[in-house]
Amino acid sequence: MSLLIKSARVIDPNSPHNGKTVDILIEDGVIQSIAKNIDKKGIPNFEAGNLHVSPGWFDMQVNFRDPGFEYKEDLNTGTQAAAFGGFTAVACLPSTNPPIHTKSEVEYILNKAKSLKKNGVDVYPIGALSQNLEGKDMAELYDMHLSGAVGFTDCKKTESNAGLLMRGSLYAKNFNGVILTFCDEKSISQGGKMNEGPTSTMLGLKGIPALAEELMVARNINIAEYTESRVHIASLSTAKSVDLVRKAKARKLNITASVNAYNLTLDDSLLKGFETNYKVNPPLRTKADIEALKKGLADGTIDCITSDHSPEDIENKMVEFDHAASGIIGLETMYALLNTSLGKTLSAEELVQKISINPRVLFNLEVPTIKEEAKANLTLFDPQLEWTFEEKNIHSKSKNTPLLGTKFKGKALGIYNKKALVSAK
Amino acid sequence: MTKLSTKHLLGIKDLTKDDIELIFSTADNFKEVINRPIKKVPSLRDTTIANLFFENSTRTKISFELAEKRLSADVINFSSSGSSVKKGETLIDTVNNILAMKVDMVVMRHPSPGAAMFLSKHVNSKIINAGDGAHEHPTQALLDAFSIREKLGDVKGKKVAIIGDILHSRVALSNIFCLQKLGAEVMVCGPTTLMPKYINSLGVKTEHDLRKALEWCDVANMLRIQLERQDIRYFPSLREYTMLYGVSKKMLDSLKKQIIIMHPGPINRGIEITSDVADSGQSIILNQVENGVAVRMAILYLLAGRTEE
Repeated sequence: MSLLIKSARVIDPNSPHNGKTVDILIEDGVIQSIAKNIDKKGIPNFEAGNLHVSPGWFDMQVNFRDPGFEYKEDLNTGTQAAAFGGFTAVACLPSTNPPIHTKSEVEYILNKAKSLKKNGVDVYPIGALSQNLEGKDMAELYDMHLSGAVGFTDCKKTESNAGLLMRGSLYAKNFNGVILTFCDEKSISQGGKMNEGPTSTMLGLKGIPALAEELMVARNINIAEYTESRVHIASLSTAKSVDLVRKAKARKLNITASVNAYNLTLDDSLLKGFETNYKVNPPLRTKADIEALKKGLADGTIDCITSDHSPEDIENKMVEFDHAASGIIGLETMYALLNTSLGKTLSAEELVQKISINPRVLFNLEVPTIKEEAKANLTLFDPQLEWTFEEKNIHSKSKNTPLLGTKFKGKALGIYNKKALVSAK
Repeated sequence: MTKLSTKHLLGIKDLTKDDIELIFSTADNFKEVINRPIKKVPSLRDTTIANLFFENSTRTKISFELAEKRLSADVINFSSSGSSVKKGETLIDTVNNILAMKVDMVVMRHPSPGAAMFLSKHVNSKIINAGDGAHEHPTQALLDAFSIREKLGDVKGKKVAIIGDILHSRVALSNIFCLQKLGAEVMVCGPTTLMPKYINSLGVKTEHDLRKALEWCDVANMLRIQLERQDIRYFPSLREYTMLYGVSKKMLDSLKKQIIIMHPGPINRGIEITSDVADSGQSIILNQVENGVAVRMAILYLLAGRTEE
């Protein structure tokens, strides 16, 4: 469809119009013109109070539960949630059943996503590193790569098998593949339910020491150094982990890192009422960890921010804390949460870098730019808009979020991608 | 004051010092009652109480049941192991099914920390926590402090050492909160592997040398070692544990002052304490058991809300 975006401020470090307030005319999915004042009758206009526009956002870590757990989320509801959260693209983890571990599942996801064009969201599957996510034998990485998988991981199962990660990262080098690792030394975190600290001590809940993550971060950096290949450390949550990545980058290793929005904004003191919607993995850490993560974002140690969107049905959340599943939905609140809580940590351009440009660079994907004759792939948002997050705002099939009732500043107002407009105004 | 500030008894954390003192003065009366020839009073007649035990218990269950019966309440008991509940019916469904049969109060023991608080948010009944995982065991802490008060006149200013497995112990946690609210000093003592790394954040002293802990304290509360509850080994053998943390009469006699020995039971004789310690005049273990009934009567009575009538 055609669209005229009226007086939007462009936030795009790669665009000649960056920082300017312009009108943007889109016809047949392509940006036809960008100018101070475009007048064109007969096509829909997109107007809003404090409208900003940036290249479409990309969430590189979501769990869409399809195939296998469609009662929690499927590709349709998942991409809708993404669109309403301002994302034009997501990379989905192989936390499915069967896991995305052969080209069949990769093709299933791509085909299904193709049929959901109206939602305007590109879906990029991440394949399993090992067959069946068993942590033993390598999955067919090259075949999945040819079918469209953008990266490989054993998800939060974590490769306790160091040799698998070593051989996997070596093998993926052949086709410039990237391995994502989630760092958790299970023999130390074993049975832990929340961050180990004063709060866990007071609640009698088994703690997950920061050490469990940091040991694995250190190990995986060592492996990347040895294999000289690309390793991405996902879901950083502790101060020391940030430091380890910072030092690895200083040594010019091919390491990238990301952080989940919830680890960046919420701390473990929120668990005092045993609220299962604060149970996440990695666990909410301390205020000091949050400060270290922010610093890591600002100085470039951390490349991307993710929602780690993890839908869970009520049966897995309205139970005793010990038995509750980890994870919260996050696509529809990520921008608002970051914009409300991060303060001056990142400039508008830097934030766009972390949630739009860097994830695409990491996966060797084309980065959309706001310029004439370019394909229109963009997010419309208002950083000043104040609103309250309510259940009616949720498009995900699951409602597991602790943020209902939160007053936010900043909201995604819509996306335009694949010739479709999804308005969240 | 004649009313507690809370609707449920989920943990000592939620009680004020006034609440605790009200429970104690009420328990004083009930202790007198249970030593009469006719031990029963009609206070909770027509109140139905369900004792739901999702984890094994002998003495806490008997103590609650006795307290309920001495108050003339109608009592039903339900026991099940946590794992079978996990696979089948949810906790909320189990409890709601029982409440549908018109039950007024629920006493629950459960292996998951926070289970009592979780229940109090989702079912419409008064909840008494009889132990939730490694979180709290408020009635045990109240009867322990009541017993110290009875023996020493006051809890304020006393030095209490809690000795043993602090990491997995709801008794330790509730005792720390309760004793601190009443103005006692608390030390925890045990093997480094059984001590939470952040225990100091609770404002307690820590000690790893048993002798030093005993020399410091007025009261030593010896915790039961529960090997069956440990998923991983935290010390090599019971034999070695006893070598380091077992209290013998000989050791007590060599201290400069007479300290009081407590134990929440059941005792592993010869492990945490030797038989001659358990049976000595310094031990108030059986007084704790007796006071347990009086303290639980007081809690049931106060929470039932009959005080307003």
